[in-house]
Amino acid sequence: MTRRERLTRKILGAATLCAAALPLSILIFMVVLARPLFSSFSVTDLLTGTWEPLQGRYGILPMMTASLLLALASLAVAFPVSLGCAGLIFGLAPPVVTVPLRRLVQLMTGFPTVVYGFVGVFVLVPAVRDLFQAGSGRCLLSALVPLSLMITPTMTLFFSDAFAAVPRPILLAATASGADPVQRFVWVVIPSARRGLAAGMVLSFGRAVGDTLIALMLAGNAARMPSGFLESSRTLTAHVALVIAADFQSLEFASIFVCGMVLYVLTSCAALCAWRMRAAAERYSG
Amino acid sequence: MKRGCWERAVRCGCYAAGFWVVSGAVAVVGFAVRQGAPHVTPKLLFGGVSAREALFGGAPVFDGLWPAVVGTFYLVAGAVALAAPLGLATGIYLAEFSRGRLKEVLTVFFDVLAGVPSVVVGLFGFSVSLLLHKMVSPRLGPCLLVAAFSLMILVLPYVIRATQSALEGVPQEVRITALSLGADPVQNLAWVLIPHSFRGIASGLLLAVGRCAEDTAVILLTGVVVTAGVPRSLLDPFEALPFYIYYVSTQYASPEELERGFGAALILLGVSVSLFAVAYAVRRAVGHWALYRA
Amino acid sequence: MIRQRGAWLFLVIICVLAMSTGVRADGYDAFKGLEGTLKISGGTAHIPVMQELAREIMTRYPAVRITIAGGGSGVGIKQVGEGLVDIGNSGRRPTDEEIATYDLRLHRWAVDGVAAVVHPQNPVRALTSRQLQDVFAGRVRNWKELGGPDQAIHVFTRDEASGTRNVFWKKALGKGTIRKDADVVPSNGAMKTAVATDPAAIGYMSVGYVDETVQAVALDGVDPSVENVRSGRYPVARGLYSNTKGKPSALAQAFLDLLFAPEGRAIIAAKGYIPADK
Repeated sequence: MTRRERLTRKILGAATLCAAALPLSILIFMVVLARPLFSSFSVTDLLTGTWEPLQGRYGILPMMTASLLLALASLAVAFPVSLGCAGLIFGLAPPVVTVPLRRLVQLMTGFPTVVYGFVGVFVLVPAVRDLFQAGSGRCLLSALVPLSLMITPTMTLFFSDAFAAVPRPILLAATASGADPVQRFVWVVIPSARRGLAAGMVLSFGRAVGDTLIALMLAGNAARMPSGFLESSRTLTAHVALVIAADFQSLEFASIFVCGMVLYVLTSCAALCAWRMRAAAERYSG
Repeated sequence: MKRGCWERAVRCGCYAAGFWVVSGAVAVVGFAVRQGAPHVTPKLLFGGVSAREALFGGAPVFDGLWPAVVGTFYLVAGAVALAAPLGLATGIYLAEFSRGRLKEVLTVFFDVLAGVPSVVVGLFGFSVSLLLHKMVSPRLGPCLLVAAFSLMILVLPYVIRATQSALEGVPQEVRITALSLGADPVQNLAWVLIPHSFRGIASGLLLAVGRCAEDTAVILLTGVVVTAGVPRSLLDPFEALPFYIYYVSTQYASPEELERGFGAALILLGVSVSLFAVAYAVRRAVGHWALYRA
Repeated sequence: MIRQRGAWLFLVIICVLAMSTGVRADGYDAFKGLEGTLKISGGTAHIPVMQELAREIMTRYPAVRITIAGGGSGVGIKQVGEGLVDIGNSGRRPTDEEIATYDLRLHRWAVDGVAAVVHPQNPVRALTSRQLQDVFAGRVRNWKELGGPDQAIHVFTRDEASGTRNVFWKKALGKGTIRKDADVVPSNGAMKTAVATDPAAIGYMSVGYVDETVQAVALDGVDPSVENVRSGRYPVARGLYSNTKGKPSALAQAFLDLLFAPEGRAIIAAKGYIPADK
């Protein structure tokens, strides 16, 4: 090993160390800054209590529920849609449809979230208000539609990647035994790509939980337990954006770092799950 | 007969899904274009001031998007200037110098980082700026530099993954040619591997630019303000396009302000979509894993 | 003779010069020679006045840079206290505790009413305090009960850090409860947008923000007009404060002085607030 090589390795290694320190330091910051709360409240109090700062209650359960509800619901909407789109792209549609659809889906990954929110404020909120006659129109449903639309393109592309990784011999065998494209897709491709599909879903879940702007602009931000999709609710992310304004010494301020921790843990669990599934999928197909 | 029915239903379902996505995209783009296009004029950018005076005369612009556009530009430039060296170095290290357990652990680390929601990254940036404020100088606070640093964290995983996957995709025969001709590994890296994977790296950087220009949650917590003018210092608060859109959508004070908001939405949509289009065109087969970002 | 004429001319020139400097000696002159950045944040009721002043100042003196952020009164007080901004605005008087902890200097430059507002199409134009409290507490949930159309009432409120909320809660709602399912909006501007686009909405905001897109509601028969706020007949009013930590910097001082100068008072009045004396 030459001196130059050792030097290069050292410099690159140092940079990698810096980069790898970032996810850790984010977590450490969250924990340290949330600490004032832990001295007067137990973790269960914080995670299962209601949010009434004037009465000294800093529970984030309503926000957690709203976040999970919104993310799971938008996943439930986006999953079949993405599966269908990925199916079309995989070959259920003629190339004249497939190629433009693929391009469009790729471009859609670049749509700014704030633009989704913006269009939602002026199109969706009045529509929901007039259609359901329930509240101001700022509710979980109004956030659900653009959020599911936002995660669909990435999910579709993940699914397409997973389908493309299905070994060719399996496809040929299916065709040879007389399966038509739809049968092949449903009975062969989807089952063999299931780990890839799961990984894509988990990551999209992380993305839906982590989105701030759509919920902040469209969900209404009432800090209480959501009891339906037509009610104004506040997600964890919107909560952080709203409460950041509080006194830096206050417990309210500390509580947004608890929200940050919960979000961090949720999304990193999603990332870890997806990584394991992906590793398993690679072993399976390789 | 029954089987044919069932298959047709699946196919129809797929087409319905495709139709839903296309109509969603058309709704978003159509709305932005219909409402925004009539207002995309020099007046949208510069308000009452003439373009020449604003660009070269240093005249402050009040009723236009110009300060927000410049703010976003600086923000993107700063974030990418920070993310590019760090991300490239890390990507190269992961692809060329690490293997086995270490590589696996590092990959997981960056997967976790890629999944951290942008509002949490913003919160981190905000606490760092408070720390600087208390420890270093009371003049420091949320500002352009802090926002660029936070955005750097946001887009770093993009750059790392794009670099790593581009390098790992270099074919074996290319990889060993220079080595067999007597080049050392560093020369091989600098003159063969990196040029060969240039397109992949470039697409990663373009996506990073797109995400920086688009993200709102991070800057919301790290120093964006309603009125600041064209930024003059890295330590000042700043204006930015995505924040302007957010601000206008919830609290426009006049029809003119709302029109500017529509114009801003169209501009931002156009900019990020073209960045993504170029990124995909630069490297068609870029794995979508590399593009994932919460 | 010629010499005398020359002397006259000289005198006239002196006079003209003196007069012209006299004319130019306006509230903005204090910014002459100053440079740097003045950071302002906090109360959103203040923003229209702040923006107009910033515009006038920065057009005259480009070396001065003024940045304005919202956030609400709580943010204004905290950020100026922590030294993150030079001037922190609040739509309520900072508490004695806040003043003591942060060594705040208060500058109350305007009086502003807080009015309940509804959509212009809403026929309900007047409410009693009792009715208002019932609406915000959720005891009255339909406009029908107040003489309006058969439509559920959409209540909009502000976050806890808002000075506007604080004053409205104290003086109009008698510290009563606010429905928990009320939509929370982050600023006066957002409140206006929300109410102006929702026919069944009710909210509250700074009188300075009221325009033809929303309808202010008379409270106990008193219209929240500028005259009624000034005379004190409309009780839900507060001062608009701009606070500094300790002695303000030269730039901040010039800005604060401008708020009390004729130019500043004219802008304050034009934006719908009642200028206050120092």
